[in-house]
Amino acid sequence: MVLVLALGDLHIPHRAAELPAKFKSMLVPGKIQHIICTGNLCIKEVHDYLKSLCPDMHITRGEYDEDSHYPETKTLTIGQFKLGLCHGHQVIPWGDLDSLAMLQRQLDVDVLVTGHTHQFKAYKHEGGVVINPGSATGAYSSITYDVNPSFVLMDIDALRVVVYVYELIDGEVKVDKIDFKKTATTQPTH
Amino acid sequence: MSLKRTALDRLGFFFIGSEASKTSASISDSGPDGGEELEMLQVVGFGPQIVREVDMEIHGWYDTELVFKTLDKTVPPMITKEFSGLASIESNDGKWSNLEFELSQKVIDLDRLQWMANYGLPDGGGLRATTWKLLLGYLPAARDSWEADLANNRSKYFALKEEELLNPSTLTQRYETSPSNKLESVNDVIGFLRRNKISTGDHPLSLSKASVWHQFFENTEIVEQIDRDVQRTHPSMKFFSGDSSVGQKNQMAMRSILHLFAKLNPAIGYVQGMNEVLAPLFYIFSMDSDEKNALHAEADSYACFVRLLSDSVDHFCKHLDNSSVGIMATLSHFSQLIKLNDEELWRHLEIFNKVNPQFYAFRWITLLLTQEFEFHDVMRIWDSLLSNPLGIQEMLLRVCCAMVLCVKHELLSGDFAENLKLLQHYPPIDIEYILHVSEELIR
Repeated sequence: MVLVLALGDLHIPHRAAELPAKFKSMLVPGKIQHIICTGNLCIKEVHDYLKSLCPDMHITRGEYDEDSHYPETKTLTIGQFKLGLCHGHQVIPWGDLDSLAMLQRQLDVDVLVTGHTHQFKAYKHEGGVVINPGSATGAYSSITYDVNPSFVLMDIDALRVVVYVYELIDGEVKVDKIDFKKTATTQPTH
Repeated sequence: MSLKRTALDRLGFFFIGSEASKTSASISDSGPDGGEELEMLQVVGFGPQIVREVDMEIHGWYDTELVFKTLDKTVPPMITKEFSGLASIESNDGKWSNLEFELSQKVIDLDRLQWMANYGLPDGGGLRATTWKLLLGYLPAARDSWEADLANNRSKYFALKEEELLNPSTLTQRYETSPSNKLESVNDVIGFLRRNKISTGDHPLSLSKASVWHQFFENTEIVEQIDRDVQRTHPSMKFFSGDSSVGQKNQMAMRSILHLFAKLNPAIGYVQGMNEVLAPLFYIFSMDSDEKNALHAEADSYACFVRLLSDSVDHFCKHLDNSSVGIMATLSHFSQLIKLNDEELWRHLEIFNKVNPQFYAFRWITLLLTQEFEFHDVMRIWDSLLSNPLGIQEMLLRVCCAMVLCVKHELLSGDFAENLKLLQHYPPIDIEYILHVSEELIR
């Protein structure tokens, strides 16, 4: 039972002041084992805050991040799952699922986590699953102003992942979940 | 003429002639009420000789051929410091066979078993394990119901474990029966994954008290504490050490037991030191020569651990500390016991040197002396503790008092620091002697 927090596109301080209060109250240290961050935090203070929630943090570079040393992409293995991380502004057209699928096959991962569009998405193709946790602060994106704050918490348990989607709609936190399993023999064949 | 022996004889005390009858007279005088008149045995020659007389009532510890009859257990044994060595000469085999005989009865005489256990149980085999289980009330006196009872209790333990110790992930998996969660089909379908409502409204970051996740995280502190303590239990013993795979398995079992206890008793939770109280139980049950019993050592240890602690559970409750049932009351009771038995020593300790029993006896009492003696000696002490008809606590206080009395000489010649040092690092003294002294105390 490994809890992995996936979030990104906070754009603090440029487009948002901080995380919504309701999210902040839920995110307490000690519960989460890993944090994967798609990028665009943008400042060190946010980095430090996330680090305080969980020491094991992985982050990739978004185009507005002030720390230029974050990698463009990252892969990590948690339990039986290979996770890939990339901000997504590098993949053109932005948010295009086929292009993201190509990136996923390149990285050879089961689950690819990307951002940039500030819209939550969970899509499955033969290569695996693409998850976009959206923007944790609800900051406006290059595409739209209509953004609900959202993030994702994955519960990885052996070959099964339960994805809890936290979204702030009209001031209330709504939680949904998505279940998916990985069969032991499933491998990206390309 | 039917001869009756006193308990003295089991140590090889042999009296010849009239001196013997004098001593015997004094013994019978000092014997407690209901003691029968004792006549001394006349022996030829010196040295430990065993006289075989079938109609003798004896405590046949060392002669396996003799029939075990009803014992005159009201006679206190007179073991002196010098002869405690002899006591250990009596064979383990003797104890073994008599105990085996007793345990093979259809209905076990618990009084007799208590009496036998008080003199120490034999090591090895499964006799100690079985006796402890009987003494703690885990096994009933009627042998026939053992199978059924054991099976019942063991399955109860596993059910409890399932219920209480599962992590929320697996729990939610089990409770998810909503038809919208079609795991299988998701695997084949390509496209957007559907977001499903959570039927219980529970999620990992939930802060609600009713949330399984929240409760799980609340427990992590306790779990960490238990983990730390279990790893520190008897690290020098292979059985407990985390270095070996068998040690790790045992550590996991102990963790489960302690965690379950803490969960089911939130008022007490887990208190540091409970791992030490559990260790001897778990060890003895796991070393049972009966394979089935050894396999189920975890379940049996849990049940016996609960029973063992039920006596002293009030000692662990912080807010009961100063009440009439708490640890402070017990300590003052202990202090009074010392005063009763040796006023001079009591005065020196408590009044003159201000060595409060809190400073040394707290650990003795709450941890049932597991930290004060070698592991093997602890087993011997527990034989006496568990077998005392007045209860574990009573006997424990007496043993502690005896411990203090046995180092009287050193205590009287020391100051506060020396006294404390001595009592907190109790010197190795023959355990049989201490137990004897505890028997002789004024109640």
